[in-house]
Parts: sequence; structure tokens; C-alpha cells
Amino acid sequence: MRSGELLSSAIRYATVMCVPSVFLAVVGLSACKTTPPAADRQGQLIAKGRDLFFNETFAGNGRTCGTCHPAENNFTIDPAFIATLPKDNPLFVAEFNPDLKENFENPALMREFGLILENLDGFDDLKNQFVMRGVPHTLGLRTSVNSPGGPRTGWSGDGAPGDGSLRSFAVGAVIQHFTKTLNRVPDVDFRLPTGEELDALEAIQLSLGRQQDLALPLRLRGTVPKRGQEIFLDNTLGKCNRCHVNAGATANFGGGSLGNANFNTGVEDLPDQPARLTGKVVPRDDGFRTPGDGTFNVPPLVEAADTGPFFHNNAIETIEGAVAFYDGEAFNKSPAGRALAAADPRGVGIELDGTQIVAVAAFLRVINVLENIRQSIMLLEASLAASSSEEKRRLLQAARRETEDSTRVLEGGGLHPDAVAHLQEARRLAEKAVRRVFFSRKHTEEAIREQKKARALLVE
Amino acid sequence: MTVGKFVVGVVGMSALLWGGPLAASAHEMTERYIPVGQSPGLSGKYTVIGKIQTTNARDQTVAIVGTTRSWSAKVTEKTKIWLDRSKLRLTNLKGTFSDLRPGATVEVKPEGHLRGVFSGPAEWIKVQISASP
Repeated sequence: MRSGELLSSAIRYATVMCVPSVFLAVVGLSACKTTPPAADRQGQLIAKGRDLFFNETFAGNGRTCGTCHPAENNFTIDPAFIATLPKDNPLFVAEFNPDLKENFENPALMREFGLILENLDGFDDLKNQFVMRGVPHTLGLRTSVNSPGGPRTGWSGDGAPGDGSLRSFAVGAVIQHFTKTLNRVPDVDFRLPTGEELDALEAIQLSLGRQQDLALPLRLRGTVPKRGQEIFLDNTLGKCNRCHVNAGATANFGGGSLGNANFNTGVEDLPDQPARLTGKVVPRDDGFRTPGDGTFNVPPLVEAADTGPFFHNNAIETIEGAVAFYDGEAFNKSPAGRALAAADPRGVGIELDGTQIVAVAAFLRVINVLENIRQSIMLLEASLAASSSEEKRRLLQAARRETEDSTRVLEGGGLHPDAVAHLQEARRLAEKAVRRVFFSRKHTEEAIREQKKARALLVE
Repeated sequence: MTVGKFVVGVVGMSALLWGGPLAASAHEMTERYIPVGQSPGLSGKYTVIGKIQTTNARDQTVAIVGTTRSWSAKVTEKTKIWLDRSKLRLTNLKGTFSDLRPGATVEVKPEGHLRGVFSGPAEWIKVQISASP
């Protein structure tokens, strides 16, 4: 049994190398008689969830979860990715389904800024009552969804109907995004996911990406990223670690972890927001609840550098710009900025100069690449255990994409050219391993070595 | 400043965090389109499903008899009333207190996640419409 052999190899590897259970999910495995029952059940559930996530349309307009959260683009979409899609991709359903032509999406804002229309404040006035939001990635959800205030999903933390949990999120997504018409009638315009499907979709989502937070500080190499980490952790200077503990999505103001939280950081008050510059109607997004309180959910930062644009409205394109936002007036006049200032001996919120902004961004770039390298090595090693050539190719191609991201993220910040050279070689070797029948293992093993060399140049 | 300001700041940040409701943060707007009894994680666990026994327009209350318990729901200005027409394969609509009629099957969610509380304000009420008026 091919998948069974693959699972056996995966579990053997996971046991030896202490790879977290998410490994099983990432490689998309199914059952095997020799596995322990719990792991077997979880593996099956994740495999089922993966199939649903990428293939199930729920009898709707053709979209799947993967339409907006594609694996090949870090489970998010951006204008560059959107530009590669064919015209008949279901993402563009509002452009070719007459029933969804009005008040379902704004195709121009989708294509130019990657924005999706959401009726977070109700469906009674579709023409005027909506918000335009970017698509958050679904990586590291195990570290970010939980909160003492209840589960937080989506940009404002209230994305799911029912009990508001990640498990329930898919129901709201189907109603909002999968419908054939704006009537949104179950079993006419879509079907609602069953309880078993919700379990499986929750399992796949929780399995994606990191399963635990970093433990900062890391022993980084490179003068600028190292300084960036210091600023990030300095509660009198960068203050980033207060709301993004260990560059994750939980807050801690000194009294212990508050879990995943919501803040009003003033993003909606930014001047010259790209979508509004077009002259199109973009109503103010009031965030959490209806009517909203202006707060939005804290996203994890480890995955940030290769998942832009940034903030709930895709207002800022670059990671440097996103860090610079916290030095600006919109943030420092916001409730969150004012609270930080009140806690500061000098009475300032966040005040960083250009070099410091770039340093923090460099740090974020490096930790993103370290995570990509971790994923790449995991994928490459899993490919060595894959008995199906199709699965092997899928894993190698995923590793190649992660490596391309790593290269792009480092080059974009002018960082670690020596590591970039190793990553480029790792990418070339992974590509060769995909193409070649013979020596594929050799190329894969060499690619792993190159990844490790790159990592050694980023961190001790 | 130092200690005083720090305390103010921490309290301020805490208020930002805790000022909002602590119940799970559901997207109530898509809830409207979920048929009676199918709300994930809520139906039958945190909601009451039953038939309306009586209504009191003056007090804005509704008495509901469920299969296992009865409940007296208070309709406030915040309570959302939805007409679940999914059995008719029609879109669900917003309703009003006058749509709450004795004999109608309803699902009521109390404000917050209150287990074992059988009276109080309702967060939302879904009224199942099974035949055209």
C-alpha cells in the first residue's frame, strides 16, 4: 500500500527526528495498519481534511477553501499570484457568473490589491454594507487561534458562526464565499459542511505550518537582523514583543500570556490607503463584532515576510512598510498606541528611525526564512520516504517553492547573500530531483545539505 | 512617572483586551443563513430548540417549550430575529417580534454561553417557516 508505506516511513522518521505530528499533515498521508491507532486516526482525518480543503466545492459556485488559501502561495493570495490565474478560476466567479456580478466581490480591487468582499456587518444592504479584506494565511493556526476571550478567527477574530471556533469557520466561509446566488439558501446555493467534514477541515488547518512558538532570542548571525531582534524584544524601544510574544500572535504585558488578542492599532486611519485611492467605495472596517469596536486580531509574525501585503486591508505592500506603520501617526494616535505611550517612561508609543525599522524587518525576514528552511528540509526528507513518484514530485515541488520564498525574502532585504547562494543551489538540486529518475535521492540529499548550510549562516 | 504610568498603561492595554465581551466571538451575520438546529458547536448545546408557547408583546418575552426544558426568552433591541425559510428553499429574512407566534418552531440562543440558565435576554432567535403564509 503506497500511502501506508509512506506513512510508515514518515512515522519512523518523525520518531527518530522528533518531527512534530504536523509532519504527517504536510505530506498529506493516509492510513496504515502498522501505525498506532491515534496517529492513524489523526493521519486519516488530516488527509480527509486536505482533500476537502482543496477539492470540495460544497455544491456552490466552484470555489474551494484552497481557492483563496492555495498551498502553492503560502495559503494566501496576493495580486502577483492572482495575476497568474486563468480567467475562469473560481476566484473570479463574480466576473463570469451573472448571479454574482453585483455585490459579491469587487473584481477590480481583487485583482489590483488582493481584496475580498465580506459582509461582516450584515446582508441587508449589500450595496453599501461590506468591508474589503485581504486573505490571511492559515499557517501556524495552532499557535494563534486560542484566546482567553474565546477562539479568534479571521482578521477581526469573529470570523466563524456558531460557537466561533476554527471548526465552525468553514460554515461561515461557505455561506459568504461559496454561494451560487446572493439568496444564500442551503441545499440550493451550497450545502453546509457536515460535522465530520468540519472535524477534518479543522484538523488540516491546525496541522499547517508551525506547531509551536519560537523561543526568542535566537543566536542570529548577521549584524542587522541581530540588532533587529534586540529592538523587537526591547520593551522600551520596539515594544513588538508585547503583542507578538516570540514573534507569534499572543500578547503578554508582564502578567502572563493573554493568548491571542484584539487591538485597535489605527490601521483604518492610515492616509492614502491603496484601495481608497482608486476612488471606489471602500467602507470603513469597524473590526470585531457588529457594530464593531475597531479592533483587529494579532497575526503571527514568523510567517509575515513572505505572506504580504500586510494588515487586514492589504494597506501596505512591504514588510519594511509594515514595521514603519508602528512609527507613524495612525498607530501612535490609536488606542493601542496611546496605551503603549502611557506605559512608557518618556510617554512615547513607538518611535523608530529608518535604520531601526529596516533592522526589525531584517529580523522578521530571517525568522521567516528559518521557518521556510525547516519546512523545506522536512519536505525533502519526506520525499525520500515517498514510494509514489507523484507524491515525491509534489513534496519536492513544495520544497522548491519554499526555497524560492526563502531566496526572495532574503534578497528583498539585501540579507545574507552567502546563504542565498546555498538556497539557490538547494532549489536547483530539488528541481533536478524532480526531473531525474536516477540520482533523484542523491540530488535530494544534496539539497538538504545546502539548506542546512544556508541555515548555519543565519543562526548559530 | 514610571510605576504610575506603567500601571496606567498596563491597565489601558488590559482594558483594550478585556473591555469586549469574553464569550466566543461568532460571526453572527452568516448565522442568519444556517437552518434551525444546524449551528455548529451551538445547536442543542447552548441553544434551546422548541415551540413557542406564549408571547408577551408588552414585556417582549417569549415562552418556549423544548423537548427537555422550557425557557423564557427576553427580546431586547439587540436580539436578532431571523426567519428560516430554508425548508421552502427560499432565502432567510430578518424578522420582528410579531413573527414570533405560538406554535412556531424556534431556536433561541441566550446571550453569552450560559449553561443551565432558562430565562434571560436572547442573542438571536431563528423562526422556522415551513409553509407559505
